[in-house]
Amino acid sequence: MIATNIRRLAVYLLLAFAATSGGLSWWQVVDASTLAARQDNPEVIAARRSALRGTIFDANGQVLASSQVIDGISRRTYTDAAFSHIIGYASLRFGTTGVERAWDDLLTGRSDPNPLRDLVNDILARQPPPTDLTLTIDRRLQDYAAAQLGTDVGVVVALDPRSGAILAMTSTPTFDPTPISGDPATAAGPMEQIGAQPNNPLVDRARQGRYTPGSIMKVLTASAALDSGAMTPETTFPDQPREETEGFVVEGFRVLEHDLSPVTPALWPFSPALQVSSNIFFAHVGVELGSERFLDYAKRFGFCEPLVIGPSDRGLSVSPSYVTAVAEDGGCAPFADTAEVAQAAFGQGRVNVTPVQMALLAATVANDGITPAPYVVRDVRAHADDPAAGPSERVLTTYRAEGSRRAIGSGAAAQVRAAMVDAVHGELGRLYAGAGDVTRYGVSGVSTAGKTGTAERGPDLPPHSWYIGFVPAQAGGTPAIAVAVIVEGGGSGSGRAAPIGGAVMAEWLKILAAG
Amino acid sequence: MTGEILRILLLILQLSFLALLYLVLFGFARSLLRDLRSAEQAQIASQAGIGRLAVLESPEDEPPAGHAIALGPINSLGRNVNNTIYVEDDFVSANHAMLTFRGRSWFIEDQGSTNGTYVNGHRIDRAVALSFGDELTVGRVRMRLER
Amino acid sequence: MLLPLVLLVPLGFVVTHIAQTGEAGTGPMGLAIVYLLLMLGAHAVLVAAGHRGDPLLLPLVATIGAIGLIMLNRLAPDLEETAAFGLDFTVAETQLLWFAVGVGAMLGVALGFRNDGLLRHYKYTWAIAGALLLVVTFLFGREVNGARLWIYLGPIGFQPGEFLKIVLVVFIAAYLAEKRTLLRDASARIGPIRIPPLPYLLPMLAIFVIVMLVVIFGKDLGTALLFFGIFLTMLFVATGRRSYVLIGLLLFLAGSFVAYRLFDHVARRVDAWIDPFADPSGVGYQTVQSLYAFGRGGLFGEGLGQGLLPTAGGRFFGVETDFIFAVTAEELGLIGAFALLALAVALIFRGLRVAMLARDDFSAMLAVGLTTSLGLQTLIIVAGVLKLIPLTGITFPFVSYGGSSLLASFLVVGLLLSISHRSALAAEREARPT
Repeated sequence: MIATNIRRLAVYLLLAFAATSGGLSWWQVVDASTLAARQDNPEVIAARRSALRGTIFDANGQVLASSQVIDGISRRTYTDAAFSHIIGYASLRFGTTGVERAWDDLLTGRSDPNPLRDLVNDILARQPPPTDLTLTIDRRLQDYAAAQLGTDVGVVVALDPRSGAILAMTSTPTFDPTPISGDPATAAGPMEQIGAQPNNPLVDRARQGRYTPGSIMKVLTASAALDSGAMTPETTFPDQPREETEGFVVEGFRVLEHDLSPVTPALWPFSPALQVSSNIFFAHVGVELGSERFLDYAKRFGFCEPLVIGPSDRGLSVSPSYVTAVAEDGGCAPFADTAEVAQAAFGQGRVNVTPVQMALLAATVANDGITPAPYVVRDVRAHADDPAAGPSERVLTTYRAEGSRRAIGSGAAAQVRAAMVDAVHGELGRLYAGAGDVTRYGVSGVSTAGKTGTAERGPDLPPHSWYIGFVPAQAGGTPAIAVAVIVEGGGSGSGRAAPIGGAVMAEWLKILAAG
Repeated sequence: MTGEILRILLLILQLSFLALLYLVLFGFARSLLRDLRSAEQAQIASQAGIGRLAVLESPEDEPPAGHAIALGPINSLGRNVNNTIYVEDDFVSANHAMLTFRGRSWFIEDQGSTNGTYVNGHRIDRAVALSFGDELTVGRVRMRLER
Repeated sequence: MLLPLVLLVPLGFVVTHIAQTGEAGTGPMGLAIVYLLLMLGAHAVLVAAGHRGDPLLLPLVATIGAIGLIMLNRLAPDLEETAAFGLDFTVAETQLLWFAVGVGAMLGVALGFRNDGLLRHYKYTWAIAGALLLVVTFLFGREVNGARLWIYLGPIGFQPGEFLKIVLVVFIAAYLAEKRTLLRDASARIGPIRIPPLPYLLPMLAIFVIVMLVVIFGKDLGTALLFFGIFLTMLFVATGRRSYVLIGLLLFLAGSFVAYRLFDHVARRVDAWIDPFADPSGVGYQTVQSLYAFGRGGLFGEGLGQGLLPTAGGRFFGVETDFIFAVTAEELGLIGAFALLALAVALIFRGLRVAMLARDDFSAMLAVGLTTSLGLQTLIIVAGVLKLIPLTGITFPFVSYGGSSLLASFLVVGLLLSISHRSALAAEREARPT
């Protein structure tokens, strides 16, 4: 009957309209936030062009980035080039990077940090005002670190090992973002000039730089071996003294010791081996650990996956660090053979790491074996009309990072810590890492834990100079700062990186003491 | 009017617009539903009406077997689609019979069909009065008059 | 049912005015008043003439049209004005003029069409006229925005395709109503699939050919899809066989696939549909901006007059025709867009009800076809701007700017009113005791 068919038709049409409504809801509600974040969305473009952007303050309320609306265009001014990479830039011409990008919607006032208020704003079609950000970084320390690096190409990353708050993160060479963030018509020239400078100043080496770590990797090897029981602080390898001069052959690959003079090789347990940074000792440890456990522990420390600084929905990404070749899915491939494990154990071979990852390694040892989750934005505040007068008192949201996880047990952490203190203060150690001792920089009564690294890059290239450490490191003390320093092509670790690391940590202790 | 007051006014007006739109929508929805309900009620009412034809046998399923057809005062039966009761069957003529309610009784009259109209198995040749429970057969379709 | 509109339309105009100018005021309220008078007047005429047709059709159309008028009024400042007879008309004014013409035509058809014999018995004449119209459009039509659909008589352009739609429905309704009784069960089988018998198959293939021609020469995918969809729907209602519809769909998909491979303009549309973000400033631009507009709308919308789509990239093309739904969704939010869709659905259901109550096969089929034409058209354009199907240049009935579309839609409603009027009269006659 026609009537029956009409009824059926009605049902089909209703289904079709229901599907359409579903599609409508999808784009208007479900997927709306993804659409809104896309850079070519006219709303985003319009908002950024003329809307006042919130101010970014350092931990003490110093202005780092502020905006003024001149002639209807929002122009951004940056006060400190040491922050250029972590804050990034908000350029009408070139887009946004760094914190400016990750927190774009709050800085422009497109959304409200409080989700309930956000919904109300949506209903009332109200444009919330821009908000200001306070970073965890103290400008004094950041500037000091940048000054220490000077004209060298390198990175200083420092964080609070217990909370994960980033205390300093600077990469040199750097650039001035102000000329490219102003009038879009005049931004192209300065950008070209920046691009023409040597050593790629636009690259944030702290987060994207990948380097061979060299000896600082031994801290991870030791942590893994002690925690898994592959080694104890008393373990020795009988063949080791002989192999110091002859080399240690693993599956046809000969591991050679670096130049130990003036120290003479002997049978060393863990602490002295770390103090002199014995490749042979740690190659043995690596072999004892085995490829599976090594890889497993590396992942526990955060290797083989991208890291994130800050809350995960507004994170700054950090490139993954690798111990082996890169697998198809972007993770770590398994070790090819035992020789590769042996090399990875002292930080050569295919190991390449980011400075942030190494800072987290130091922080884990400092924090009883728990890797803190790093974050760089401390809170979001109401917009202060006059940035020069300091941030507003009205804090809208305070952020804490989530996701700290335990990498090794506190027992193993304590053992590694003691050895790292020896590496700086011990008879043998101070020959290598002594330069990283904070007492050399005007601080007294505090033990420093540290490790230098001299990363070989090949026959004709000067090695990278590395240093990781933390203070105060005495047993029973509470660590306040953990650092990782790299100077590209800086030579031996003790040469450039260790003094910078020690000085920066000392400076922080002084800042803390001054209140 | 200051800017702020105007903004609030605009907001109220915009929300009122949406609210009013939905009021209109609900108005339509209610009318639609009322229509449906009254159609249902008409069905029920017709079942309490002057009579129904229960379809007992219907090889072509038109009218559907097992269903009851509500009857009006005048009902034509046949194979032409314009009949009140459309019967799909090769042995039914285009205008086969008339079923009418006159006074207080039902009457069935054959319209000169080829194969004839049967009441309780007997072929009729003039208008015949029906009682409730009588069976009508046209072609191969068998129906029963019910209250 | 029309009364709330008296409040709604002026309110919409006021909101738009305040939002766009930042001052208190009413905007071109004259337009709103004329519109309301038009609709109330039409209602009065129907009542006075003793029209028994469906009482909800006109209010539904009036409400949907009201939203359309409010949106066009909102868009007017961003769009060019048409010059005719020495005066400049905004889009809202032009649309209102066409509303008046449309309402007049609707009343004429609703009241004047006492006997549908003209439609029912001359179906082949209608078919030939329709075919001629199509040929003329191909030969003499001007290509506008990639589709050769328009014929210009002096300053006035109109789309014959819109009226062809009605002619097509009339023809198919008459044809199917006649053939239906003769061919209920006769169908050939190829394996497990039922093939429609020749009298069904022939017109199906004929229409398929016409449709493909429209796609190729007229370069209009939307109209092609619409025609074919209407035919398949009517075929389903007439026969109840889902397999016929399936076969038709398969045919269409096959044809589309071939067209995709052979013809550039088809390929471009389909590529833009599959991943518009791959080329957001080129082929995918319109779809991408449309999606952004939906996203910005959110639950409650940005507010009338405050959306960004009309001015995206300077001037967003098609905002008053194809993308009018996107602007509506952006400014009135999910809540508003859903309301508009619901109203369209209500109109469709009302039309189907008219079909169900129709007294004979031809009227029923005609009502089904006409209703489907409105319904499918709405579905196609909404699904297109939502990236559910490829985007086609079809108008949203009663909302999109366009005189031919509006006039044709009103003719459709007029015919529906006429059919429902006659059904009601017949019902009353039968209920009267003899």
